[in-house]
Amino acid sequence: MEKEKARTKVILDSRVKNENPVPLYNSKALQDIESNYTALKKKYTEGDKKQPWSVTPKTILGSEIPRDMLYTPLNAPESDYSFDIGMPGSEPFTRGIHPNMYRGKKFTMRQINGYGGPEDTNLRIKYMLEHGGTGISVIHDLPTTQMYDSDDPISKGQVGMSGVAIDSADDMEILFKDVPIDKITVSLVTHYPSNTAILFPMYLAAAERRGLKPETLRGSVQNDITLEEVVRSGPEYIPPKDCFRIQCDNIEYIKNNVPYFNFNTLNGYNLHEFGTSGVTEMAVAVSNAIESLDEMIKRGYEVDWIAERLAFFWSISSDFFEEVARIRAVRRLWYRIMKYRFGAKSPRAMWMRCHVQTSGISLVREEPLNNLIRAAIQSLSAVFGGVQSLHVDSYDEAYSVPTEEAALLSLRTQQIIQEETAVTEVVDPLGGSFYVEALTNDIEKRILDEVDEIEKIGGYVASIEKGWIHNKIANYFYREKELIDKGEIKFVGSNVYKSEDKKPSIEVFRYPEGVQERQKAKLAKLRMNRDNEKVTEALSALEDACRKNTNIIPFSLECARHGCSVGEIFKVFKKAFGLWKPPALW
Amino acid sequence: MAERKIKVLLSKLGLDVHNRGVITVAKMLRDAGMEVIYLGNALPEEILGIAIQEHVDVIGVSSLGGAHITLGMDLIGDAVKEGIKDKTVFIIGGVFSIEDEGRLKEIGFDGVYTAVATRDEITASIKDLVSAKAVK
Repeated sequence: MEKEKARTKVILDSRVKNENPVPLYNSKALQDIESNYTALKKKYTEGDKKQPWSVTPKTILGSEIPRDMLYTPLNAPESDYSFDIGMPGSEPFTRGIHPNMYRGKKFTMRQINGYGGPEDTNLRIKYMLEHGGTGISVIHDLPTTQMYDSDDPISKGQVGMSGVAIDSADDMEILFKDVPIDKITVSLVTHYPSNTAILFPMYLAAAERRGLKPETLRGSVQNDITLEEVVRSGPEYIPPKDCFRIQCDNIEYIKNNVPYFNFNTLNGYNLHEFGTSGVTEMAVAVSNAIESLDEMIKRGYEVDWIAERLAFFWSISSDFFEEVARIRAVRRLWYRIMKYRFGAKSPRAMWMRCHVQTSGISLVREEPLNNLIRAAIQSLSAVFGGVQSLHVDSYDEAYSVPTEEAALLSLRTQQIIQEETAVTEVVDPLGGSFYVEALTNDIEKRILDEVDEIEKIGGYVASIEKGWIHNKIANYFYREKELIDKGEIKFVGSNVYKSEDKKPSIEVFRYPEGVQERQKAKLAKLRMNRDNEKVTEALSALEDACRKNTNIIPFSLECARHGCSVGEIFKVFKKAFGLWKPPALW
Repeated sequence: MAERKIKVLLSKLGLDVHNRGVITVAKMLRDAGMEVIYLGNALPEEILGIAIQEHVDVIGVSSLGGAHITLGMDLIGDAVKEGIKDKTVFIIGGVFSIEDEGRLKEIGFDGVYTAVATRDEITASIKDLVSAKAVK
């Protein structure tokens, strides 16, 4: 039997020690502060007009962390600058992963695109690049995401909705036609390990046809078990252990063969938006990352080599300082985990690099222009947190996929922050704030405590199999809905300062016509023109690989090269791994 | 005589991945004393098959992925063919444009809800719709 793994919290508690503390504050200073602080606190918390010193903000997707009225050095009396905060670009990376942060490299403006067929999304990608976008991000339509073909009866009426329809490597080629994918980074929002194992090889096959070498490709895939097994409603699921294996096969293949591609973007975003606190969002992603690294070490890889391509994806919601502190906290925690649990040596392997997106669920239908302000404030907190890359949600998303105009406004929000406000000139501008540092410390502890909760269950895959995470989410979002209905979580124009205008005039996005017919016609042609003998061989070789202890990605790449479709490859997974019924959410 | 529990069948329409809303509604209707069957993702044909078999009062579908008009029309069209449109309350929730909210009502949905709807509004409206159909 496998020896029980030491828990991360236990390891960090014993190894993260400040051997030669150099406190920032001397005891005389602290005494003075304390007497003044106590007097002030007394004035407000005693007597007729007394008010609570500590309140717990209720905000959308918040973590309900109590806040004092005032923060002082007393909130971290033993603070040691070098040990707790340090220089940016140096351990413990609290202040950022680069010494000069945005002066050296501006955050990437990566707006997500995807609707209709690949021909349609190709135009939107070019439009965003022509207007100053600096990264590409592509989301797939419902059938592609759920891994069915456009001509499958189950896809009826849904082709090209919520994203772009991709059926085969041919579509990938069309999607990126005349887009310099060897010069610009591409994020393929392949949420699940399974569809990463299907779609990324199609991307590679399309690049091959253009004569591009894998080492010229940069970008990321998502490849996250959380999305496939927890944050999804779908008709068919493969079992968590097989899904996790595919996640690791993707990591292994991509790291070995497409060295500058981020093989795994640990996606807290969709989990947070689905309904969890910001603390749980990060604890889950960190637990998944730990388990993936353990598996890769088991497969014989050096942790430094693997970890340098790990990336995270967070959702940034409305509690401004919580969001700033969360990013700083998880950056320090990830460093500590890499250094003290995994023994990483390379600084790059200790970096918590992240893309973030403003919160979709915080967008409100009433007075939709207010959403511009919400997204702008959320974006600013992300930049104060020191993120690498950003997507700003559009104001019309409580109604539809964004119009071109709304998508441009999102890009403009980023450009205004970058070019007009000067906030990017100074590294970690909120570092050293008594409040932000105290909140950073508090949140780091809370994330680690939840990681510990997951590890006590037996790890992240076990927490999925046992339904722990499903339950936690369902309880959170059900309660959150109650708090919104009661007006405890406030939305201006909706449950406070209620809008009189029940039907605001808003231009909404219209999907292009005839996408399903177009995709079906292309598929029919593909099925006729490809070498169907080779297709059958490639699919059966993939099935063999699934059943054996061997990496499946070279086999799904062969499938992509021979023109197999998304649905045909997913059928192989279902046949080889069988189906799993996820725990009920209620 | 004790009032018969309202029986509700809820489902995600087609392949839409977003289920926070429908699960919230399932829980709130159950807490409001209704009997709720949650089907997960399903196409109109399957939804109607189960609805007929289970003799439900209400069929509720959720769509945040943009396919509400195409699949919504299929659902209502098939319900008419099966002869249960007049006996059953049809409701839909999700992300729709204002124009589409109107179209969904024209198609034949008795209740159309967006994220703005509160728990009390949803439960009260379902009760009203069920008693209105019963009177017919």
